Formats: sequence, structure tokens, C-alpha cells
Amino acid sequence: MELVSIASATPTSIEVSVAANGRTRAIGAIMIGIGLFTGLVFALGVSSAAHSGLTFNPVNLSNAPWHLGNLTVVTRWVNLVIAVLMIALGVEVVLRSPRRAVMVRFGVVAVLFLLALLFWVVRTPGPSPVSVINLTAVLIGSSEVAMVLIFGSLSGVMCERSGVVNIAIEGQFIGGAFVGTMLASTTHSFIFAALGGAVIGGLLGLLLAFLSLRYLSDQIIVGVVLVTMIGSFSSYLNLQVFTPFPQFNTGTLAPNLAIPLISKIPIIGPVFFDQSGFFYFMLILVGAVSFALFKTRYGLHVRAVGEHPRAAATVGINVIRVRYINVVLGGAIAGVGGVAFMASQGQFQPGYTSGLGYIALAAMIFGRWRPSGAVVASVLFGLSVYLSQNLQTYNVPVSTYILNMFPYVITIAVVSGLIGRVRAPAADGIPYHRE
Amino acid sequence: MSDSTNRLSSLRRRFSSTSPITIAFIALILGLVLGALIIIFTTPVILNSWRDIFHSWSSPWRAVKITADNVGAAYRSMFTGSIIDPPGLWHSLTTGKGWDATLTPISETLTYATPLIIASMGVGIAFQTGIFNIGANGQAVLGGIAGATVGSMLHMPTIIHIPLTLLAGLAGGVIAGAIPGLLKAYTGAHEVIVTIMLNYVVYAFLLFAVLSTPLQQPGQQNDISRMMDPSSQLAPIFGVASGLRVSYGIFVAAAVVVFAWWFLDRSSLGFDFRVTGANPTAARASGINSRAIMVLVFLISGGLAGLAGIVQAASTTHFIDGGFLIGNAGIGFTAITVALLGRNRPMGIVWASLLFAALGVGGRSMQASTGIPLDLATIIQSAVVLFVATPVLVKEIFRLRTSPTATVQLATKGWNS
Repeated sequence: MELVSIASATPTSIEVSVAANGRTRAIGAIMIGIGLFTGLVFALGVSSAAHSGLTFNPVNLSNAPWHLGNLTVVTRWVNLVIAVLMIALGVEVVLRSPRRAVMVRFGVVAVLFLLALLFWVVRTPGPSPVSVINLTAVLIGSSEVAMVLIFGSLSGVMCERSGVVNIAIEGQFIGGAFVGTMLASTTHSFIFAALGGAVIGGLLGLLLAFLSLRYLSDQIIVGVVLVTMIGSFSSYLNLQVFTPFPQFNTGTLAPNLAIPLISKIPIIGPVFFDQSGFFYFMLILVGAVSFALFKTRYGLHVRAVGEHPRAAATVGINVIRVRYINVVLGGAIAGVGGVAFMASQGQFQPGYTSGLGYIALAAMIFGRWRPSGAVVASVLFGLSVYLSQNLQTYNVPVSTYILNMFPYVITIAVVSGLIGRVRAPAADGIPYHRE
Repeated sequence: MSDSTNRLSSLRRRFSSTSPITIAFIALILGLVLGALIIIFTTPVILNSWRDIFHSWSSPWRAVKITADNVGAAYRSMFTGSIIDPPGLWHSLTTGKGWDATLTPISETLTYATPLIIASMGVGIAFQTGIFNIGANGQAVLGGIAGATVGSMLHMPTIIHIPLTLLAGLAGGVIAGAIPGLLKAYTGAHEVIVTIMLNYVVYAFLLFAVLSTPLQQPGQQNDISRMMDPSSQLAPIFGVASGLRVSYGIFVAAAVVVFAWWFLDRSSLGFDFRVTGANPTAARASGINSRAIMVLVFLISGGLAGLAGIVQAASTTHFIDGGFLIGNAGIGFTAITVALLGRNRPMGIVWASLLFAALGVGGRSMQASTGIPLDLATIIQSAVVLFVATPVLVKEIFRLRTSPTATVQLATKGWNS
């Protein structure tokens, strides 16, 4: 990912590691800076009498036979502890320049920052009409965004492990959401909706694969143009079909399927076991993609094709076929992700995925092209997207629009900090032609 | 005699080979065919006429006629709305009256093309350096915000105000371009993700700016900015009374074209840019400071996008609102497709801008007269670019001979580039 192509990797690798060290310290310094800000504003900046409430009960109390009491903490002290933790992590990064997991520490600092922010906004006496944070509700809301991001980044993992950059995830989300709302509204079945989303996502994947594998087009350009095309096509159809026939776009949400007993466990139950079918499907898919890529013979082929297609071809692997299969499957996964988005957000509107597909792509990079890493990254991004959209309910003295920038800025910071620490599959984005 | 046969056969060879112009022309036709198919499959009248063949045994000819009428009406209004309306032209020619109305479509196309040329030139210069600047739209929006601020809040004579407004737009774009440039040069962050994310940051900032006190129109609750001073507006060339909106901004665009040509073909820095784009390793080996090039290309590309943003605001609406350049039809996004269609060359970009501007303006007139959504124009544009990006596909469909100049060129090469 550094400005080093394969040809010149060896002579400059020492230079790169020195530069990476300097960058590690810079990231540590940023972490300390965020910690200091948290300490000064969110801890020392509030009166020592202020306190914040925390509750863990799900909104739907019938699912919670065990009611947990509210926890009230002194805002200043709890945020001071959080700030000290953040600064400690930053100091550790600056002094030790650890080689691994620097950005994971950065992610932890980002989550701690959001937590301190929540404690700060609900403090009483304070401007917020709400004096208690419902942690379970925050986790449920974030999990819905994270779920969509996980679908997207799994799609990215599938495609890029085989050497094709799928930048059209956003387009597959839009296509999936469009077809999903149409099928869900007419058939009242989210299984049909998911199948339709998979088909449309897979077809878009097929188009991307066809243009980039057969005609060796630039994958990033084709991907971006495809997103533009799907975006305007969905907006066109929205006006032509959904406006005159609103019955095709009712925007019914997918019902929650509570798993008996374990859904009643406090906090964990409502977040993990009282979700829509898409959530459980996503969990299964993470395991399935992980297993397929790292434990099966086919996965070995895929990774070989992504790293060194010519070597893979020499041992008899059909490079082009593997790439076709993976890009179509990846597109189908992102298509289902689009349906899942629609099923948790409601009625289709043009442009309402607002760049989630690209954030999913960043989550995949953050997760080092691994399904498990993508899950961790998606949870972080999901939390930041959810909070940036919902902090306004707490009367935060910051404009909604400034808050809305937050997930995008975090994404830029993470992508910039990662470079040189993660490595894309060697043949990622490079067309393969037999000679 | 033999000379003319020679010329004829060379002409034929030229148009039956995969020269860029032939490919672009065929791509346009294919795009229009796709657009027609979309119209056919989404217009109830047409679909009903085909169903009636089996339903009430109506003549298939009737269905064909209804289809042709509807598709024809859509494309006719696209043409008359963006280029010329033949009866109006005839009326003006014979009576000498109504020239303003006759020239309005072409004036609209030029008005739309003006900022598009500027922004596409920025995207094209970036492509030539191997950089994919998807952030042009965000850079244009920030340029529009900066320019509208200077245009509406400062008051001074036209001769200073206009240059200052344009410079502010340029500066806004430079700032938005500097971020991905510096990040790419110093951390290696891939410009594609950074610029896409920055687009969303800038859109949020736009809403913030037009809803906050300094820039918001006084007495308004809506997301709308103050009016730019008349002294900062790019005035219509033929006067306000003519109704023709084509403005002096067209000279700004012409200057940008000349600059881009000189920069890419004549300046030594431009040469370094192109070498970096063609072969980064060779560029580094020959002593070109690739880090400085990364930053500079984003400053220039972003600056041009920002200039395009303020030219758009100063020559058409004279204010900006929360929907300024938002959506798939934002000039920054169209600029990407224009640069690809124009093969990143200055004159190619001019022609491509005029074509896409005509499609955009014509799309609006089509929406007004037939109710077919404007988005169809964007779909056609992206389809044209998809075909242009895959010349081999077009070649295979039409069994064209390969000309030596048509090679598959890659602008970006994945995350590892």
C-alpha cells in the first residue's frame, strides 16, 4: 500500500519501515491529543456535581424479565478515568512503537471517546432532555449499521482475495435495497427480498467481472461508473415506479426473531439474539466466508489467485473462473446487504445508503482483508455512524451536520494510519491475461 | 481520381477501425439505444400497447408506432432542448425575429458545459498523472462555498470582485484537494477512499454553511445562501434582457483549456506529471520527486474543480443552497465521465463536455415535456463511458479492425499502486 510497486519493494523497504515508525508515533500523539481533549472538555469541563445515568434495559421491556437498575456515575470522574486510559494507550504507542495492532488501539481510543461523549451529553444538570443513556439501545442501533457494513466488507473480502477490486459495493447496496423493498412490499417475504437482492448484486458483480476480466478494464473506474449508473437508474425508477405506485415501496421493516431463552440475557440477549433474520444470516456468513477462504481447498485457490495468478495458473488453477465465481458471490453478498439495509431503515429513497458501501470497503482494509477483522472494523464504524446520526436527540451543542462528518473523518483517519501496516493481496486490482 | 479513391478508402479505414472517435461515436449510439430500452420498459403506455397485441388483438404495427412515438418524442425534446429547434430556426431565419428563443437551447448547453470543462480538465490532469480524483465534486462544492462567501459578503468594484471571487473558489478547491494529496504523499492513503469520504464531509459542511449565520440568507430558515453581489457575478454575454444565460465564464473555461494544453504539452512540470502517470518507477528513477507531484496534482486538480464550482454558482443561480451539485448529476461526477470520454486530452474534454452538457440540458427539457426523469441522461452518460472504458467490447461487437493507437490504458492499478 506504500508508494512501492512490486519492482522496487526491496531497495526501499528499510526506508518504509523508518517512515512507518515516525507515523506510529504520530498516531500515538493523535491518541494522546484526543485523550487530553476528553479530559479537559468532557471531564474537567463539567461541574463536579454533574452525574450521568446508564441503563441497560431494552426498549421492549417484555423481553427483559430481569430488570437491571440504572447506574448513576459522576460524570467528571468516569470521564477522567476514560481520558487517562486513552492517554495511557497513546503514550504506550509513542514510547514502544508496537509493530502490530496500532490501529486497533486507535479504534479502542475512538470507542472510548464516543463513550465519554455519551456520558458528557446526558449529564444532569445539563442541556440534554434525556439524563440516561440506554446502552442496550445504542448497541442495537449500531449493530444494525454494523451488520450492513459487515455484508459489504465480506463482499470486498471475497472479491479482493481473488484479486478484483470491488468498489461497486455501494452500487450493489443500492440495487439490493431497491429490489428488496419491491419484493418485500409485494410478496411480504423477506426471504424473497433477500434472494432478489442476491440476484441483482450478483448480476452487478457479473458485469464488473465481465468488463474487468474479459476486457481488462480498469476495475476502479468501472466500479465507480457502475455506482453512478445504478444510483441514477434507481433514482429514475423511483420516480417512474415508486412515486405512482407507492404500494411497491411500503418500507416494511424485517421482524425481529427472538431466540427463546438466550434472548432474555441482559444486554447480550437483545443485541445478539433478538434481531432480524438478516443479522443471524450475517453471523453465519462471517463464519462461512472465513471457513471457505482459510480452511478449504477452494479458499487456497482463491488466495493463490489473488496473490500470484501466474503461479496459480501454472499449477492448473483456472484464474479467470475463480475470479468470476468470487466476484459474483461477493456481489450477491453485498446485494443481500442492501436488502438488510432496507429492512432496517425502511422505504427506499435515492442516495440513502450515503456512502456506506465505501465505508464497508474501508472496513475491509482496516480488517486486513480478513472476515474477522472486517467484523471488528465494521463494529467501530457502525458505532460512529449510528452515534453521529442520533446524538442530536441529546441536544448536543454541535451542529448535526458537523456530527454527520464524524464517520467519514474517522474513515479517512483510519485509512491513512493503516498504510504500510496492512498489505492488500499482491495481485489485487491488476488484470490477468493469459499469454 | 485515384487520389480520391485513396482518400475514400483511408476514410473508410479510419471509421471502421477502433480509433478513439469511432469508439466514442459507437458508444454514444449504444448509450442512446440503452436509454430507449429503458424508456420502453418503464413507460406504461408503451407496455400496454404491446400487451394489447395479445390482449385485444390490436395490430402489432400500432404497438411499434406508439413505441416509436414515445421514444421519438423523448429524444426529440432532448435534441430541441439542448441544440436547436428546427421550426424555430426556420422562423428566425425567415422573419429575423425570435433569435433569443432559438438560441436558448445552445446557450443553455454552453452554460452547463462551462464549469464542466473546467472541472473535467482538473480530473483529466489527475488521470494523466495516474491519480483518480473522485473528489472533484466535493472540491467543487467547497469552491462554491468559498466563492459564494466572498461574492456575497464583500462589496467592491466588479474589476476586483470577480477575480477575487474566482480566486476564492479556486482556493476552496485547493484546500479540499490538498487533504487527499498530502495524505497520499505522506501516508500513502489511497486517494479513492479519501476523496469519496471527503465528498461526504464537504456535503455536510455545505449544509452547515448555508444554515449558519454568516452565509445563510438573512430572514430565511431554509438551506439557502445570501445572493452574490452583482459585482461578483459572471454576467451573461448578450445581456440579461436576451434571456441567454451563456456568460463570460466561457472565457474562464477557454483560459483553462489553453492552460491545460500548455501545462501538459509544453511545460516541464506537466511532462513530469505525465511521466509519473505513465510509469511511476521510471519517474522516480529519473529523479522526479513523486511526493511533490502527488501533492501538486491534487492542488491543481482540486483548484480547477473549485473554480468550476464557483463558475457554476456565479454564472447561473448566483447563490448556493443545500442541494448545490449534490447527487449523481453533480458536475464533479460528470467530470470523471467526461475526462474518460475525452481521453484526458484538452480538446477531447471540450468535445466530451459539450456532448454531456447537451445530454444533461436535453434531459431536463425531456423531463419537462415528456415526464421521463432527468436521471436517464446520467444513465446514458455512464453507459457511454462504460463502453469507452472497454474499447475491446465495442470492437468485438462491431468487428472493427484494431488501429495501432487503440490500446487498453489503465489509470489506476488497485490498492498496491
